Amino acid sequence: MNVARMAGVTKRYGDVAALDGVSLELAENTIHGLLGRNGAGKTTVMRILTGQAFETGGEVEVFGQHPYENADVLSRVCFIRESQHYPDKFRVRHALRAAELLYPHWDPAFAAALLADFAVPVDRLLRKLSRGQLSAVGVIIGLASRAPLTLFDEPYLGLDAVARQLFYDRLLADYAEHPRTVVLSTHLIDEVSDLIEHVVLLDAGRVLIDAEAETLRGETVAVTGPAGAVERFAAGYDELHREQVGGSLRVTLAGAGNRLEPGLDFEPVSLQQLVVRTTQRNRRPVAAGKES
Amino acid sequence: MPRVLDVVRIQLVHWPALLGYPLLALVAMPPLGWGIDVSNGETARGAHEIYLLPMLLGAIASAHLQTMTQVFPFTLGLGVTRRAFAAATALVVLGQALLLGLGLVAFDIVERLTGGWGRETRIFGLDVLGHGNPLALWLVYSGPLVAVSAIGVLAGVVFQRWRHTGIYLAIFGSVALLVAMGALAKTQNWWPSIGSFLGGQPSLTLFTAYPLVFALALGGAAWLVLRRATA
Repeated sequence: MNVARMAGVTKRYGDVAALDGVSLELAENTIHGLLGRNGAGKTTVMRILTGQAFETGGEVEVFGQHPYENADVLSRVCFIRESQHYPDKFRVRHALRAAELLYPHWDPAFAAALLADFAVPVDRLLRKLSRGQLSAVGVIIGLASRAPLTLFDEPYLGLDAVARQLFYDRLLADYAEHPRTVVLSTHLIDEVSDLIEHVVLLDAGRVLIDAEAETLRGETVAVTGPAGAVERFAAGYDELHREQVGGSLRVTLAGAGNRLEPGLDFEPVSLQQLVVRTTQRNRRPVAAGKES
Repeated sequence: MPRVLDVVRIQLVHWPALLGYPLLALVAMPPLGWGIDVSNGETARGAHEIYLLPMLLGAIASAHLQTMTQVFPFTLGLGVTRRAFAAATALVVLGQALLLGLGLVAFDIVERLTGGWGRETRIFGLDVLGHGNPLALWLVYSGPLVAVSAIGVLAGVVFQRWRHTGIYLAIFGSVALLVAMGALAKTQNWWPSIGSFLGGQPSLTLFTAYPLVFALALGGAAWLVLRRATA
């Protein structure tokens, strides 16, 4: 069963298409990785799903209804944004209290445990927190809310590697006990590759991949060997990338699967490599962009 | 409705900004008035008025502006609808105005009982507000508070939606409108009629009914802007 659906959604800002015919579905009780480069449209997708932005065209459904100004839908949605801003006068406990008031499944004991885990001082003004502590507050609200649809938009800004791992561990443990639909937008693909069950890859406002993570892992391989042998093997497969050094050729193939072929070396491709290669094949100029 | 009340409670999470500081301003007015009298050497000059009430109005407007620019985007991410937030804001504005209005009536009574703080000073019971019964006075005090709050709310949502450009255009547009209306009144020689019309209105109409109509108009405009505002 799906909790959210987008069909042919476009979002235009003047002449710029932030989303260009995006169709995707978010399955119930699944952790989704929403991946893509800066400016790919990840944040725009999440803002539209949470009724914060408005699609220019297409269909949007969350829990079977359009989310805009829909209290029934939005009361089941929690959206933690990158660089989430809080009211200047709020202390940490005020932000948590606000979330507690709004989410019926809020777990105060879990929130308290997370506060201790991330060493966030509950009585400190939010504007006095470090960047990492501020991100931790967002993570705590997102996890302890136990909203049926929880969206994290790059929530790790300023969190060090240990704190990020803590987030992944707590998310996975709580998800196992309280399954829900989680959308995790991130650039740190290797870090979350074991966490996410479904991958949606966006690039330039279009969906490049929408598949189960397990399927992707099994089907994509890097094949290395003599150029001629690799060329013969690769024929008919979806080639994502190729590198040639002298007579040796290495190609990344989708749908080939891991196998034994005399003279050829097969290596599994990490999710990050798959995302990078797929995005590169989309022939978008490689430059740091701004998230839309 | 429970959702709206939850949002009211969130807006009041930091209650000092909405209630504490305005009440503090209220309590500070008599000593401030005394200070002004001393600095002006007016302590023995008979009955006089000191206009400190705008200080309270300014504090209220800025508090609601911050609610719209800071609390609104925060709660939007927590699944609150704009409609629920707007309804909660209306309740908070009304409740705050009535509470502070009650405080103003209390201070007005004290002011009268003490003979104008012992020196015939009028800080609260200004002549222009009339001298009705406490209930009428409560409404007379509360009306302008609601109107000023509505200005703060509208300014906040304009900023939230269009940022500084919106605020600049709103200020420029408002000033231009006022100047145009003033010029029209001047060229048509309407000022005497306007003056006599306003002068003939009872305090309750002038300070309660008109401000509420004004607040409703601004509130409606704020809602239209808020409908498409994002975090």
